[in-house]
Amino acid sequence: MDAKIGKLFDSIGTFFSGTDNIPWCDSDIVLGFEREVAQAENGSDDEHKSVCLLRLSWALVHSKRPEDVQRGIAMLEGSLPSTSDPLQMREKMYLLAVGYYRSGDYSRSRHLVDRCLEIAPDWRQAITLKKSIEDHIKKDGVIGIGIAATAVGLVAGGLAAALSRKK
Amino acid sequence: MISVFLPQIILLTKSIAFLGFVLRSISSMDSSSGSEFDYLFKLLMIGDSGVGKSSLLLSFTSDTFEELSPTIGVDFKVKHVTIEGKKLKLAIWDTAGQERFRTLTSSYYRGAQGIIMVYDVTRRETFTNLSDIWAKEIDLYSTNQDCIKMLVGNKVDKENDRVVTKKEGIDFAREYGCLFIECSAKTRVNVEQCFEELVLKILDTPSLTSEGSTTVKRNNIFSQKPPASDASTSGCC
Ligand SMILES: Nc1nc2c(ncn2[C@@H]2O[C@H](COP(=O)(O)OP(=O)(O)OP(=O)(O)O)[C@@H](O)[C@H]2O)c(=O)[nH]1
Ligand SMILES: [Mg+2]
Repeated sequence: MDAKIGKLFDSIGTFFSGTDNIPWCDSDIVLGFEREVAQAENGSDDEHKSVCLLRLSWALVHSKRPEDVQRGIAMLEGSLPSTSDPLQMREKMYLLAVGYYRSGDYSRSRHLVDRCLEIAPDWRQAITLKKSIEDHIKKDGVIGIGIAATAVGLVAGGLAAALSRKK
Repeated sequence: MISVFLPQIILLTKSIAFLGFVLRSISSMDSSSGSEFDYLFKLLMIGDSGVGKSSLLLSFTSDTFEELSPTIGVDFKVKHVTIEGKKLKLAIWDTAGQERFRTLTSSYYRGAQGIIMVYDVTRRETFTNLSDIWAKEIDLYSTNQDCIKMLVGNKVDKENDRVVTKKEGIDFAREYGCLFIECSAKTRVNVEQCFEELVLKILDTPSLTSEGSTTVKRNNIFSQKPPASDASTSGCC
Protein backbone atom coordinates (compact mmCIF):
# COMPACT_ATOMS: atom_id res chain seq x y z
CA MET A 1 0.00 0.00 0.00
CA ASP A 2 2.73 2.42 0.99
CA ALA A 3 4.66 1.57 -2.14
CA LYS A 4 1.62 2.32 -4.26
CA ILE A 5 1.18 5.74 -2.72
CA GLY A 6 4.87 6.42 -3.17
CA LYS A 7 4.60 5.48 -6.80
CA LEU A 8 1.55 7.66 -7.31
CA PHE A 9 3.24 10.68 -5.77
CA ASP A 10 6.34 10.00 -7.78
CA SER A 11 4.44 9.95 -11.04
CA ILE A 12 2.63 13.15 -10.08
CA GLY A 13 5.97 14.66 -9.16
CA THR A 14 7.63 13.81 -12.45
CA PHE A 15 4.52 14.78 -14.38
CA PHE A 16 4.50 18.24 -12.89
CA SER A 17 8.23 18.81 -12.88
CA GLY A 18 8.62 17.64 -16.47
CA THR A 19 12.02 17.31 -18.04
CA ASP A 20 13.20 20.79 -18.80
CA ASN A 21 16.65 20.43 -20.31
CA ILE A 22 17.14 23.97 -21.53
CA PRO A 23 20.32 25.48 -20.06
CA TRP A 24 20.48 28.64 -17.96
CA CYS A 25 22.89 31.50 -18.32
CA ASP A 26 24.25 33.56 -15.41
CA SER A 27 24.00 37.31 -15.46
CA ASP A 28 27.78 37.83 -15.37
CA ILE A 29 28.01 35.91 -18.64
CA VAL A 30 25.35 38.16 -20.13
CA LEU A 31 27.38 41.15 -18.97
CA GLY A 32 30.50 39.84 -20.69
CA PHE A 33 28.75 39.60 -24.05
CA GLU A 34 27.18 43.00 -23.52
CA ARG A 35 30.70 44.43 -23.30
CA GLU A 36 31.82 42.43 -26.33
CA VAL A 37 28.95 43.83 -28.43
CA ALA A 38 29.71 47.35 -27.28
CA GLN A 39 33.31 46.93 -28.43
CA ALA A 40 32.23 45.40 -31.74
CA GLU A 41 29.95 48.38 -32.43
CA ASN A 42 33.04 50.57 -32.74
CA GLY A 43 34.70 48.28 -35.26
CA SER A 44 33.83 48.02 -38.92
CA ASP A 45 33.75 44.24 -39.20
CA ASP A 46 30.06 43.45 -39.82
CA GLU A 47 30.60 39.71 -39.71
CA HIS A 48 32.20 39.98 -36.27
CA LYS A 49 29.39 42.26 -35.13
CA SER A 50 26.70 39.79 -36.09
CA VAL A 51 28.50 36.91 -34.38
CA CYS A 52 28.78 38.99 -31.19
CA LEU A 53 25.10 39.84 -31.39
CA LEU A 54 24.19 36.18 -31.84
CA ARG A 55 26.16 35.26 -28.70
CA LEU A 56 24.53 38.06 -26.73
CA SER A 57 21.05 37.03 -27.81
CA TRP A 58 21.85 33.42 -26.89
CA ALA A 59 22.89 34.57 -23.41
CA LEU A 60 19.87 36.87 -23.01
CA VAL A 61 17.14 34.37 -23.86
CA HIS A 62 18.80 31.76 -21.61
CA SER A 63 19.20 34.21 -18.74
CA LYS A 64 17.58 33.71 -15.35
CA ARG A 65 16.38 37.32 -15.28
CA PRO A 66 13.04 37.94 -17.00
CA GLU A 67 14.11 41.41 -18.15
CA ASP A 68 17.10 39.89 -19.97
CA VAL A 69 14.82 37.42 -21.71
CA GLN A 70 12.53 40.27 -22.81
CA ARG A 71 15.50 42.19 -24.15
CA GLY A 72 16.70 39.12 -26.03
CA ILE A 73 13.26 38.66 -27.56
CA ALA A 74 13.16 42.30 -28.66
CA MET A 75 16.65 42.02 -30.15
CA LEU A 76 15.83 38.88 -32.12
CA GLU A 77 12.43 40.15 -33.28
CA GLY A 78 14.18 43.27 -34.47
CA SER A 79 16.91 41.48 -36.40
CA LEU A 80 14.87 38.64 -37.94
CA PRO A 81 13.32 40.62 -40.84
CA SER A 82 16.74 41.69 -42.11
CA THR A 83 18.24 38.18 -41.89
CA SER A 84 18.54 36.50 -45.26
CA ASP A 85 20.96 33.64 -44.60
CA PRO A 86 18.79 30.55 -43.98
CA LEU A 87 21.12 29.11 -41.34
CA GLN A 88 21.21 32.34 -39.32
CA MET A 89 17.46 32.64 -39.79
CA ARG A 90 16.71 29.28 -38.23
CA GLU A 91 19.18 29.86 -35.40
CA LYS A 92 17.47 33.11 -34.55
CA MET A 93 14.05 31.48 -34.80
CA TYR A 94 15.19 28.81 -32.36
CA LEU A 95 16.58 31.38 -29.92
CA LEU A 96 13.40 33.44 -30.18
CA ALA A 97 11.42 30.27 -29.41
CA VAL A 98 13.58 29.75 -26.30
CA GLY A 99 12.84 33.36 -25.29
CA TYR A 100 9.09 32.96 -25.71
CA TYR A 101 9.26 29.66 -23.82
CA ARG A 102 11.11 31.22 -20.89
CA SER A 103 8.66 34.12 -20.78
CA GLY A 104 5.72 31.71 -20.69
CA ASP A 105 4.39 32.44 -24.19
CA TYR A 106 4.06 28.77 -25.09
CA SER A 107 1.84 29.03 -28.16
CA ARG A 108 4.20 31.45 -29.94
CA SER A 109 7.16 29.37 -28.88
CA ARG A 110 5.60 26.21 -30.27
CA HIS A 111 4.74 27.91 -33.53
CA LEU A 112 8.38 28.94 -34.05
CA VAL A 113 9.82 25.62 -32.98
CA ASP A 114 7.50 23.87 -35.44
CA ARG A 115 8.90 26.06 -38.20
CA CYS A 116 12.45 25.15 -37.12
CA LEU A 117 11.58 21.47 -37.27
CA GLU A 118 10.06 21.86 -40.74
CA ILE A 119 13.42 23.14 -41.93
CA ALA A 120 15.50 20.65 -39.93
CA PRO A 121 13.46 17.70 -38.61
CA ASP A 122 16.54 16.15 -36.96
CA TRP A 123 17.33 19.20 -34.85
CA ARG A 124 17.72 17.72 -31.35
CA GLN A 125 17.69 20.99 -29.43
CA ALA A 126 14.48 22.05 -31.16
CA ILE A 127 12.91 18.66 -30.43
CA THR A 128 13.85 19.01 -26.74
CA LEU A 129 12.39 22.51 -26.64
CA LYS A 130 9.19 21.33 -28.27
CA LYS A 131 8.84 18.59 -25.67
CA SER A 132 9.34 21.08 -22.84
CA ILE A 133 6.72 23.39 -24.34
CA GLU A 134 4.22 20.56 -24.64
CA ASP A 135 4.88 19.46 -21.05
CA HIS A 136 4.08 22.97 -19.89
CA ILE A 137 0.93 23.27 -21.98
CA LYS A 138 -0.27 19.91 -20.67
CA LYS A 139 0.50 20.93 -17.10
CA ASP A 140 -1.24 24.28 -17.43
CA GLY A 141 -4.22 22.46 -18.92
CA VAL A 142 -4.49 20.08 -15.99
CA ILE A 143 -4.16 22.89 -13.47
CA GLY A 144 -6.75 24.89 -15.43
CA ILE A 145 -9.18 21.98 -15.36
CA GLY A 146 -8.50 21.50 -11.65
CA ILE A 147 -9.22 25.12 -10.84
CA ALA A 148 -12.31 25.15 -13.05
CA ALA A 149 -13.65 21.95 -11.47
CA THR A 150 -13.02 23.33 -8.00
CA ALA A 151 -14.83 26.53 -8.89
CA VAL A 152 -17.77 24.57 -10.31
CA GLY A 153 -17.83 22.47 -7.14
CA LEU A 154 -17.84 25.53 -4.92
CA VAL A 155 -20.61 27.22 -6.92
CA ALA A 156 -22.68 24.04 -6.90
CA GLY A 157 -22.12 23.72 -3.17
CA GLY A 158 -23.18 27.32 -2.64
CA LEU A 159 -26.26 26.84 -4.78
CA ALA A 160 -27.22 23.72 -2.93
CA ALA A 161 -26.79 25.58 0.34
CA ALA A 162 -28.91 28.46 -0.87
CA LEU A 163 -31.60 26.13 -2.15
CA SER A 164 -31.75 24.06 0.99
CA ARG A 165 -31.95 27.17 3.11
CA LYS A 166 -34.96 28.33 1.06
CA LYS A 167 -36.67 25.10 1.93
CA MET B 1 -32.10 18.68 9.17
CA ILE B 2 -28.67 17.04 8.73
CA SER B 3 -29.95 14.97 5.81
CA VAL B 4 -30.81 18.15 3.93
CA PHE B 5 -27.26 19.44 4.15
CA LEU B 6 -25.59 16.13 3.38
CA PRO B 7 -25.19 16.45 -0.43
CA GLN B 8 -23.85 19.93 -0.04
CA ILE B 9 -21.34 18.87 2.59
CA ILE B 10 -20.14 16.06 0.36
CA LEU B 11 -19.75 18.45 -2.55
CA LEU B 12 -17.84 20.91 -0.43
CA THR B 13 -15.46 18.25 0.87
CA LYS B 14 -14.85 17.09 -2.69
CA SER B 15 -14.08 20.62 -3.81
CA ILE B 16 -11.69 21.17 -0.96
CA ALA B 17 -9.93 17.88 -1.68
CA PHE B 18 -9.58 18.87 -5.33
CA LEU B 19 -8.27 22.29 -4.44
CA GLY B 20 -5.77 20.62 -2.15
CA PHE B 21 -4.62 18.41 -4.99
CA VAL B 22 -4.24 21.36 -7.34
CA LEU B 23 -2.26 23.37 -4.79
CA ARG B 24 -0.04 20.42 -3.99
CA SER B 25 0.61 19.90 -7.67
CA ILE B 26 1.54 23.52 -8.14
CA SER B 27 3.90 23.49 -5.20
CA SER B 28 5.66 20.36 -6.44
CA MET B 29 6.13 21.87 -9.88
CA ASP B 30 9.48 23.42 -9.18
CA SER B 31 11.19 20.41 -7.71
CA SER B 32 13.72 19.58 -10.39
CA SER B 33 13.25 15.85 -10.28
CA GLY B 34 11.16 13.37 -8.39
CA SER B 35 14.07 11.15 -7.46
CA GLU B 36 16.68 11.27 -4.77
CA PHE B 37 20.41 11.11 -5.31
CA ASP B 38 23.61 10.96 -3.28
CA TYR B 39 25.79 13.05 -5.56
CA LEU B 40 25.32 15.52 -8.34
CA PHE B 41 28.18 15.66 -10.82
CA LYS B 42 28.68 18.19 -13.55
CA LEU B 43 30.29 16.72 -16.65
CA LEU B 44 31.37 18.73 -19.68
CA MET B 45 31.85 17.63 -23.28
CA ILE B 46 34.25 19.55 -25.51
CA GLY B 47 35.97 19.08 -28.87
CA ASP B 48 35.78 20.19 -32.51
CA SER B 49 32.47 20.52 -34.31
CA GLY B 50 31.27 17.28 -35.85
CA VAL B 51 33.32 14.87 -33.74
CA GLY B 52 30.12 13.47 -32.25
CA LYS B 53 29.72 15.00 -28.78
CA SER B 54 25.95 15.35 -29.05
CA SER B 55 25.71 11.91 -30.64
CA LEU B 56 27.62 10.35 -27.74
CA LEU B 57 25.38 12.07 -25.24
CA LEU B 58 22.24 11.01 -27.07
CA SER B 59 23.54 7.48 -27.35
CA PHE B 60 24.24 7.46 -23.61
CA THR B 61 21.01 9.09 -22.41
CA SER B 62 18.46 7.64 -24.81
CA ASP B 63 20.05 4.72 -26.68
CA THR B 64 19.47 6.28 -30.06
CA PHE B 65 21.66 7.39 -32.94
CA GLU B 66 20.66 9.65 -35.80
CA GLU B 67 21.95 12.46 -37.95
CA LEU B 68 22.28 15.60 -35.85
CA SER B 69 22.46 19.32 -36.47
CA PRO B 70 25.40 21.21 -34.95
CA THR B 71 24.73 22.34 -31.39
CA ILE B 72 23.82 25.98 -30.89
CA GLY B 73 25.67 27.37 -27.89
CA VAL B 74 25.27 24.84 -25.12
CA ASP B 75 22.91 21.98 -24.47
CA PHE B 76 22.49 19.72 -21.46
CA LYS B 77 20.95 16.48 -20.37
CA VAL B 78 20.41 14.86 -17.01
CA LYS B 79 20.91 11.17 -16.39
CA HIS B 80 20.43 9.20 -13.19
CA VAL B 81 22.73 6.24 -12.67
CA THR B 82 23.58 3.92 -9.82
CA ILE B 83 27.23 3.00 -9.50
CA GLU B 84 28.72 1.02 -6.62
CA GLY B 85 25.48 1.45 -4.69
CA LYS B 86 25.60 5.22 -4.97
CA LYS B 87 22.84 7.13 -6.69
CA LEU B 88 24.24 9.74 -8.98
CA LYS B 89 22.62 12.53 -10.86
CA LEU B 90 24.76 13.45 -13.84
CA ALA B 91 24.24 16.86 -15.39
CA ILE B 92 26.05 16.57 -18.71
CA TRP B 93 26.82 19.77 -20.58
CA ASP B 94 27.28 19.43 -24.30
CA THR B 95 29.04 22.41 -25.85
CA ALA B 96 29.12 23.60 -29.44
CA GLY B 97 32.44 22.94 -31.19
CA GLN B 98 32.02 25.78 -33.68
CA GLU B 99 34.50 28.55 -33.10
CA ARG B 100 31.90 31.32 -33.12
CA PHE B 101 30.42 29.92 -29.90
CA ARG B 102 33.75 29.46 -28.12
CA THR B 103 33.55 32.46 -25.80
CA LEU B 104 30.07 31.32 -24.85
CA THR B 105 30.92 27.69 -24.18
CA SER B 106 34.02 28.61 -22.15
CA SER B 107 31.80 30.10 -19.46
CA TYR B 108 30.33 26.65 -18.79
CA TYR B 109 33.63 25.03 -17.71
CA ARG B 110 33.43 26.27 -14.14
CA GLY B 111 32.52 23.77 -11.49
CA ALA B 112 32.79 20.72 -13.74
CA GLN B 113 34.07 17.60 -11.97
CA GLY B 114 34.65 15.77 -15.23
CA ILE B 115 35.60 16.90 -18.73
CA ILE B 116 35.21 14.68 -21.77
CA MET B 117 37.48 15.70 -24.67
CA VAL B 118 36.24 14.15 -27.88
CA TYR B 119 37.99 13.74 -31.23
CA ASP B 120 37.09 11.93 -34.44
CA VAL B 121 39.47 9.06 -35.27
CA THR B 122 38.82 9.70 -38.99
CA ARG B 123 39.84 13.39 -38.92
CA ARG B 124 43.36 14.19 -37.80
CA GLU B 125 42.82 17.91 -37.20
CA THR B 126 40.24 17.11 -34.52
CA PHE B 127 43.03 15.24 -32.72
CA THR B 128 45.74 17.88 -33.11
CA ASN B 129 43.27 20.57 -32.00
CA LEU B 130 43.10 18.84 -28.61
CA SER B 131 46.50 20.18 -27.65
CA ASP B 132 46.30 23.31 -29.83
CA ILE B 133 42.90 24.46 -28.57
CA TRP B 134 41.01 22.32 -26.10
CA ALA B 135 43.70 21.64 -23.48
CA LYS B 136 44.36 25.38 -23.40
CA GLU B 137 40.67 26.11 -22.94
CA ILE B 138 40.62 23.76 -19.95
CA ASP B 139 43.67 25.47 -18.41
CA LEU B 140 42.02 28.85 -18.82
CA TYR B 141 38.46 28.19 -17.78
CA SER B 142 38.21 25.09 -15.62
CA THR B 143 37.89 26.06 -11.95
CA ASN B 144 38.27 22.60 -10.43
CA GLN B 145 41.97 21.84 -9.92
CA ASP B 146 41.39 18.11 -9.55
CA CYS B 147 38.76 17.77 -12.24
CA ILE B 148 39.02 14.44 -14.08
CA LYS B 149 39.68 14.52 -17.82
CA MET B 150 38.83 11.82 -20.28
CA LEU B 151 40.07 11.55 -23.85
CA VAL B 152 37.57 9.95 -26.20
CA GLY B 153 38.28 8.83 -29.77
CA ASN B 154 34.89 8.54 -31.46
CA LYS B 155 33.60 6.92 -34.69
CA VAL B 156 35.62 3.69 -34.44
CA ASP B 157 32.86 2.05 -36.50
CA LYS B 158 34.47 3.73 -39.52
CA GLU B 159 37.60 1.60 -39.15
CA ASN B 160 38.50 1.90 -42.86
CA ASP B 161 38.62 5.70 -42.64
CA ARG B 162 40.67 5.77 -39.47
CA VAL B 163 43.68 8.10 -39.54
CA VAL B 164 44.47 8.44 -35.82
CA THR B 165 45.76 5.18 -34.35
CA LYS B 166 44.80 3.90 -30.94
CA LYS B 167 48.44 4.15 -29.87
CA GLU B 168 48.47 7.88 -30.61
CA GLY B 169 45.43 8.30 -28.38
CA ILE B 170 47.03 6.30 -25.58
CA ASP B 171 50.25 8.31 -25.84
CA PHE B 172 48.43 11.62 -25.73
CA ALA B 173 46.43 10.51 -22.69
CA ARG B 174 49.56 9.35 -20.89
CA GLU B 175 51.36 12.60 -21.54
CA TYR B 176 48.37 14.74 -20.61
CA GLY B 177 47.52 12.60 -17.60
CA CYS B 178 43.96 11.67 -18.41
CA LEU B 179 41.76 8.65 -19.01
CA PHE B 180 41.34 7.27 -22.51
CA ILE B 181 38.78 5.25 -24.42
CA GLU B 182 37.80 4.67 -28.03
CA CYS B 183 34.12 4.36 -28.83
CA SER B 184 31.34 4.74 -31.36
CA ALA B 185 28.16 6.66 -30.78
CA LYS B 186 26.72 4.81 -33.76
CA THR B 187 27.24 1.21 -32.63
CA ARG B 188 27.20 2.26 -28.92
CA VAL B 189 30.40 0.32 -28.37
CA ASN B 190 32.15 1.63 -25.21
CA VAL B 191 29.70 4.53 -24.80
CA GLU B 192 28.51 3.52 -21.33
CA GLN B 193 32.03 2.52 -20.30
CA CYS B 194 33.23 5.98 -21.20
CA PHE B 195 30.89 7.71 -18.77
CA GLU B 196 31.23 4.97 -16.18
CA GLU B 197 35.03 5.12 -16.03
CA LEU B 198 34.95 8.88 -15.72
CA VAL B 199 32.40 8.81 -12.93
CA LEU B 200 34.24 6.04 -11.05
CA LYS B 201 37.39 8.14 -11.10
CA ILE B 202 35.47 11.17 -9.83
CA LEU B 203 34.02 9.05 -7.01
CA ASP B 204 37.59 7.99 -6.20
CA THR B 205 38.78 11.57 -5.84
CA PRO B 206 37.99 12.85 -2.33
CA SER B 207 38.30 16.53 -3.19
CA LEU B 208 35.57 16.15 -5.82
CA THR B 209 33.11 14.27 -3.67
CA SER B 210 33.62 15.89 -0.28
CA GLU B 211 30.90 18.00 1.22
CA GLY B 212 31.44 21.69 0.66
CA SER B 213 33.01 21.26 -2.74
CA THR B 214 30.83 22.10 -5.72
CA THR B 215 29.26 18.68 -5.37
CA VAL B 216 25.79 18.83 -3.99
CA LYS B 217 24.53 16.08 -1.77
CA ARG B 218 20.79 16.17 -1.57
CA ASN B 219 17.71 14.19 -0.74
CA ASN B 220 14.35 15.62 -1.58
CA ILE B 221 10.86 15.33 -0.23
CA PHE B 222 10.08 12.14 -2.07
CA SER B 223 12.98 10.29 -0.46
CA GLN B 224 10.66 7.94 1.45
CA LYS B 225 9.51 6.29 -1.73
CA PRO B 226 10.76 2.76 -2.51
CA PRO B 227 13.91 2.82 -4.61
CA ALA B 228 12.56 0.43 -7.22
CA SER B 229 9.95 2.88 -8.45
CA ASP B 230 12.38 5.27 -10.06
CA ALA B 231 12.00 4.59 -13.74
CA SER B 232 14.66 7.05 -14.81
CA THR B 233 17.42 5.20 -13.01
CA SER B 234 19.24 2.75 -15.17
CA GLY B 235 20.92 -0.24 -13.64
CA CYS B 236 24.33 1.04 -14.41
CA CYS B 237 26.08 3.71 -16.33
N1 LIG C 1 29.76 6.76 -38.28
C1 LIG C 1 29.63 7.51 -37.18
N2 LIG C 1 29.11 8.76 -37.27
C2 LIG C 1 28.98 9.49 -36.15
C3 LIG C 1 29.38 8.99 -34.88
N3 LIG C 1 29.12 9.93 -33.94
C4 LIG C 1 28.60 10.99 -34.61
N4 LIG C 1 28.51 10.74 -35.93
C5 LIG C 1 27.98 11.67 -36.96
O1 LIG C 1 28.77 12.83 -36.97
C6 LIG C 1 27.98 13.97 -37.18
C7 LIG C 1 28.26 15.04 -36.13
O2 LIG C 1 27.88 14.57 -34.87
P1 LIG C 1 27.46 15.56 -33.68
O3 LIG C 1 27.14 14.70 -32.52
O4 LIG C 1 26.42 16.52 -34.13
O5 LIG C 1 28.82 16.35 -33.45
P2 LIG C 1 29.13 17.45 -32.33
O6 LIG C 1 30.47 17.15 -31.81
O7 LIG C 1 28.03 17.50 -31.35
O8 LIG C 1 29.16 18.79 -33.18
P3 LIG C 1 28.89 20.30 -32.66
O9 LIG C 1 27.60 20.31 -31.95
O10 LIG C 1 28.88 21.17 -33.87
O11 LIG C 1 30.05 20.64 -31.77
C8 LIG C 1 26.53 13.53 -37.14
O12 LIG C 1 26.00 13.53 -38.44
C9 LIG C 1 26.59 12.14 -36.59
O13 LIG C 1 25.60 11.32 -37.18
C10 LIG C 1 29.92 7.65 -34.82
O14 LIG C 1 30.27 7.10 -33.76
N5 LIG C 1 30.01 6.96 -36.00
MG1 LIG D 1 26.74 18.96 -30.79
